Amino acid sequence: MQLHEDKYKDLNLKIGLEIHVQLKTDQKIFCECSSDYINSSPNNNICPICTSQPGSKPMGVNQKALENLLKIGLFLGCKAYEKPFYVQRKHYFYPDLPSNYQRTSQPILGNGVFMGVGIWEIHIEEDPGRYELREGKVDFNRSGVPLAEIVTAPDIKSPEYAREFLRDLLLSLEYLGVIRGESGSIRADVNISIMGGNRIEIKNVNSVKGIYKALKYEIVRQKAVLQRGGTITMETRHFDEASMITKTLRKKETVADYRYIPDPDLVPIYISPEMLNEIESVLPESPHNKKKRFMEEYSLGEEIVDSLISDLYLSDLFEESAKNSNPLEAGKWCATELKRRLNEKNLSVSTSKIKPKHISDMVGFIERGELSVKNAKWIIEDAVDTGEEIPVLMDKKNFYQISSEDTLIKIIEKIIEDNPKAVLDFKSGNQNALHFLFGKVVNETEGRAEPSKTIKLLKDKLCAVA
Amino acid sequence: MFTRDLIEDLLSKSVEEHLNKKIEEIEKRDKEINAFITLNIEEAEKSSKEIQKKINEGNQGKLSGLVISIKDNLAVSNLRMTCGSKVLENYIAPYDATVTNLIKQEDGIIIGKCNMDEFACGSDGTSSYFGPTKNPRNIDYVPGGSSSGSAASVAADFSDLSIGSDTGGSIRCPASFCGVYGFKPSYGLVSRYGLSDMAMSLEGPGPFAKDTYGIALLLDVISGKDPRDTVTVENNKSYLKTVENFKDNDIKNMKIAYAKEFFEGVDEKIKNIVLDKIGMLESQGAKIEEVSLPNIKYSIPIYYLVVFSEFSSAMSKFDGFKYGHYAGGQDIVEAVSNTRETSMGTEVKRRVLLGTFITMEEFKGRWYTKALKARNAIKEDFKRIFNSYDLLIGPTMPTLPWKIGERISDPLAMYSSDILTVSANLAGICASSQPVGEVKGLPVGLQLHADSLSESKLLKGMRAVEIACEGM
Repeated sequence: MQLHEDKYKDLNLKIGLEIHVQLKTDQKIFCECSSDYINSSPNNNICPICTSQPGSKPMGVNQKALENLLKIGLFLGCKAYEKPFYVQRKHYFYPDLPSNYQRTSQPILGNGVFMGVGIWEIHIEEDPGRYELREGKVDFNRSGVPLAEIVTAPDIKSPEYAREFLRDLLLSLEYLGVIRGESGSIRADVNISIMGGNRIEIKNVNSVKGIYKALKYEIVRQKAVLQRGGTITMETRHFDEASMITKTLRKKETVADYRYIPDPDLVPIYISPEMLNEIESVLPESPHNKKKRFMEEYSLGEEIVDSLISDLYLSDLFEESAKNSNPLEAGKWCATELKRRLNEKNLSVSTSKIKPKHISDMVGFIERGELSVKNAKWIIEDAVDTGEEIPVLMDKKNFYQISSEDTLIKIIEKIIEDNPKAVLDFKSGNQNALHFLFGKVVNETEGRAEPSKTIKLLKDKLCAVA
Repeated sequence: MFTRDLIEDLLSKSVEEHLNKKIEEIEKRDKEINAFITLNIEEAEKSSKEIQKKINEGNQGKLSGLVISIKDNLAVSNLRMTCGSKVLENYIAPYDATVTNLIKQEDGIIIGKCNMDEFACGSDGTSSYFGPTKNPRNIDYVPGGSSSGSAASVAADFSDLSIGSDTGGSIRCPASFCGVYGFKPSYGLVSRYGLSDMAMSLEGPGPFAKDTYGIALLLDVISGKDPRDTVTVENNKSYLKTVENFKDNDIKNMKIAYAKEFFEGVDEKIKNIVLDKIGMLESQGAKIEEVSLPNIKYSIPIYYLVVFSEFSSAMSKFDGFKYGHYAGGQDIVEAVSNTRETSMGTEVKRRVLLGTFITMEEFKGRWYTKALKARNAIKEDFKRIFNSYDLLIGPTMPTLPWKIGERISDPLAMYSSDILTVSANLAGICASSQPVGEVKGLPVGLQLHADSLSESKLLKGMRAVEIACEGM
């Protein structure tokens, strides 16, 4: 099912993405420099290789980068090509490119599908440095950070679905632990066409939001041009982040010729079936599959599941706690109150003190009628903050619910005796009086009276008095 | 053996004295010969003192104070690396090439950086921005190129050994013209890390010396696997032993081929000298047979197509923003064009333009892709030969050295002089040149080829020829 598809049906909208993500590695793709290009002053994280000094040669493709790329590909259902692949040189002049060519491999994997969108091919390449146009300065710290480029088929039918696809893709890649988390870790070239027009490429959009906005803008623009009798010719456009609009970069007639040649400095790379098997065996479940499984196996609602799978650690914690408690309850508490508390405290499952046992114990107390839902919310906060065990917290807070009928009847009798006016009101048919008296019982017990029993006993008592 | 005796001398006498003799010689004659672009006297003197100390303690490296010059397209940290071009006139290398590093580790003294054809684009040593190198044997003649200064510095006694680079004969040609030993190792035997690019799939550094011993010694030092060059391979570094243990009997086991294609169009006098040496080897028991290399006739066009393509890619980085002269312009394209126009020599510009042209999408299939295919056919030719023979023998150059300035305006004549050397690079095999005679005082070089990574066979062949020429 594609979101908002109907809205664009008449347009025959086709969207394809070329997505660049930075692969997580300790070192750059062709040298031993640290790939952490952010926490270093400009041009400090460089060597003869990543600045392409005369005579320097690239070392072989970073093994970790290649592994991470293969993980992405296999995860997205792609097949790896068996023949050896070359790293190619893509030539163009730009100040951030130290050799004025970018090293980019031939497709390594292809023919995948993710969320109903075809994955045409995936390859590896090097990130250029960063060029500050206004200052005329180049920082080569980023030069040589490994990138994966994921090319999709033009299967996306709406900007909304493009956004959802990208969010899920990023979430999956974070799951896999294969991409860098920094801002700017996703960049995409966006291809879009509508009926009656040619394909337009929007280069280098830097965020999911930007991609969505660029698509929205392009649809409006192209529709308007066509409606007024204009034509949409093939061109490359640039997305301006500040004004959220796209502008012409170059027309088709001046299409760039990158003069690709295989890099003579690098031996072709061959991916062995053993390496593929090894990577396949450690791949985690995709969020998509996990969602399906959670809904089937635990009968959880879609909203709860979406919340759970948005965080790999949260979904793991849930599954662990569901082993020892009612999964419906555990899922609900993990997806709502636990997540809320973590967000409030700006913590994650791994950085807080919460453990699966907290959730399963807590659900147990609630189900046995020993803990009220209201107090359970407090318990979760304490468990996140202190990590103390649930029984300990129950004692400390004196949260044990009173559900013994004898104890409750004694308290109810006392309240009835102390509030004759309310009893009279009840008798004359005022239902609010029941709530008033119930409130008194709750206060008397510091909120520990088990509510449904209390209401029932209170009603019985009042009727008996009458 | 000359180099072995020299090392014995160094161990018993003074490294500093030896170095001083070289410096004196350079001061006396290099103004004329122009073998060096940059000298490294101060550092050399410093390291000679350190090496002397090591010798006194008995823990010196394999090169034990031999004076070594290095072609100026190989990085020596903190020294200028010009590649013979105005483009890099003021470029100081911030790192050591792997070969530089290995030479320093084994206590070679780096005396300076050698003159060369601009970015190694030339066959006679006259296209350097820093002026032509002259042939020490006769200064009216070219020394050969592109490693002109390396060959000249050894021939003129400015250095004991030298490192050059060979893309299509750039070591063997000047070795032949200057009358010294030059060796082009198999592709991947010696690390290219720190060697400025000309045609990356063809080239590598290699040694110059006065004898086979010197070649083997330097080869032991500079060869081997390097993580900074992915095409390199492991080797056992026993080249010197191979030469030292050479016995006359070894010649009797050699199967040597000569190809008629390697004698076509060769100067009669050169042909006769080489054929005479082949006859001597045969009389000593080597088995000699004629073979054919049918695809060799395509080697010059294939070679230059590959060179132009790779060279134009490699030269992209010289845009004026990071190195050398920046000429400025309205936009980036104009700035790059202006900078290149004013800082690159004619031959370099010719190669960049041709290379750009033949790798354009429109023409790639017609030129570049076809050249790569044809290159494989040449490889097959050699493979077939080396299935049955140890060595392939012939002349290094089809002509004697020419007079300085004679061919500078005729690129096709210049390209054709590489006809006997380029096929070894296309096939990735090893090849050598060594002096075997003279014509009117100008040296004649004999070329040997052996299969890829069969350096030991090649060195044995060189030693056999060397012995055959003794007392010449």
